[in-house]
Amino acid sequence: MRLAVRGLRLVGAVAAGAVTALLGLLFVLVAVPFADRPAVRAAAARLTTLELRRLRLELPGRDGEGELRSLAARAPVGLLGGLVVLLLVYGMRWAAPLAWSWGRGEAVDGMLPTPPLLAYAFLAGSVLLFLEVSGLVGVGALERRLAVHLLAPDPTEALRRRISELTESRAGVVAVVDAERRRIERDLHDGVQQRLVALSMLAGRARRGRPELLEQLHEQAQQALVELREVAWRVYPSGLDAHGLAEALAGVAERAAVAVKVTCELPERPSAPVETAAYFVASEAVTNAAKHSRASLVTIDVRQEGTMVVVRVEDDGMGGADATGGGLTGLARRVAALDGRFTLTSPPGGPTVIEVGLPCA
Amino acid sequence: MRVMLAEDSALLREGLVRLLKEEGHDVLAAVGDAGALLEAVTGERPQAVVVDVRMPPTHTDEGLRAALEIRRRWPEVKVLVLSQYVEKKYATELMSGSIDGVGYLLKDRVAQVGDFLDALERVGVGGTAFDPEVVRQLLARTSHADPLAQLTAREREVLELMAQGLTNASIAQSLHVSQSAVEKHVNALFDKLALSHTIGYSRRVLAVLRYLGS
Repeated sequence: MRLAVRGLRLVGAVAAGAVTALLGLLFVLVAVPFADRPAVRAAAARLTTLELRRLRLELPGRDGEGELRSLAARAPVGLLGGLVVLLLVYGMRWAAPLAWSWGRGEAVDGMLPTPPLLAYAFLAGSVLLFLEVSGLVGVGALERRLAVHLLAPDPTEALRRRISELTESRAGVVAVVDAERRRIERDLHDGVQQRLVALSMLAGRARRGRPELLEQLHEQAQQALVELREVAWRVYPSGLDAHGLAEALAGVAERAAVAVKVTCELPERPSAPVETAAYFVASEAVTNAAKHSRASLVTIDVRQEGTMVVVRVEDDGMGGADATGGGLTGLARRVAALDGRFTLTSPPGGPTVIEVGLPCA
Repeated sequence: MRVMLAEDSALLREGLVRLLKEEGHDVLAAVGDAGALLEAVTGERPQAVVVDVRMPPTHTDEGLRAALEIRRRWPEVKVLVLSQYVEKKYATELMSGSIDGVGYLLKDRVAQVGDFLDALERVGVGGTAFDPEVVRQLLARTSHADPLAQLTAREREVLELMAQGLTNASIAQSLHVSQSAVEKHVNALFDKLALSHTIGYSRRVLAVLRYLGS
């Protein structure tokens, strides 16, 4: 039964292939002079997608090249398939009345179903049927091979692309590290150092006959400590290793200048690099939102989707975030280094949504 | 002294203003960036300006640029530059031309209130004030290590203090020796380094600084 369904499906696919081959050939003949137009390329892409669906083929990493060429190249094979199907129809039209009449003991063309004649017809019919089925299977296989050959990405090309991706993301990591260091240096110099200098100056003034400044001095020392703790936290949240992502994100929400709502639902703790990247994506996105978007609420949503940890940060601000800005570029690079995906949508008027997928398999 | 201040950290600016007022100085303006400082100096000429190197918008060296411009346009205004860390390039740029009334201090020096006020005082009367750390780095990186090696320990100390802009009297005071002993050391080290005995103390400071910086 299953064999019969597969057989029928094959016949259907090959017959449809003949029709689409004809249509494809017509399209190619008309479209070749305008091959570079985007509309033509889009139409070729749509036809190719239909073809691949007919052949039940999936070609991951297909780059959309050579579609017109493959439409042209498959036309002869498709037409060959059409002829094979026609032969099948012809054979059926010949065999069916024969079987019908002989089955009822009637003569066909004056020939009665005698045993030698039956044996002859059965043998000849079997051979013809075998040839016909081989033809159908062969055309199907040929079409699939042709499609893979013309449309699937070249493995060397894929490797080359991967290498350039890796080179780029490696350079990106170095740039991220440098940018972080610059930020830490600025945090220390412009924040903590200024405070300590002011503090010492206060001490100096107190010693030069203003003892009433001591109280102020003490207060500023406390503030310097708070600031130092903040800088250290921004460098690396110590709670992340000990208590996990949810806790660290709660820390971000506490410190943020806007209201932040955190949902963190992960069945298990991801690896440390993924956790750290997820943390910095969320915290940088919140910083950006607080600084630039005039948002009143930022929502952080972390969840598992298949083998990915997906971090989604959305704000209700005015949008228009620039993906080439320092902070966001840093984020994208950090994510690229882990082979993750990074998408930013920020239409003017908002909302800004940053979504990051980090593979954790 | 009539002073203007440019410092972008509000906390530090406020502290400096209070300190200077307590010491009897007259703070004409206290601003947060270089542009505002130039505007203020255009409006009213102070005796001295105190400028932070790193200020908005780029947080690199706009303070130094402003200081150099003030030196060029109003040579009578004395300039004391505060820097977050020692940058030989800044020192060299400030040294090009006359160093009468020029100072270059590490910002941390402000914390040593006495030293800072002394330096401002010196610069205000047309003297020179170079941070001990600046001088130490110039000494450490100079290409004249061999001639310097011929100096006695005491002569080296005198050289360091002289390069900071101290007068013979101040050097004598901080080394607890007589002024004539200092003069003797100065003559000896000028001979050893083959520098001409220029008259006037800021010119000799310049000679020493340029010698070290070259």
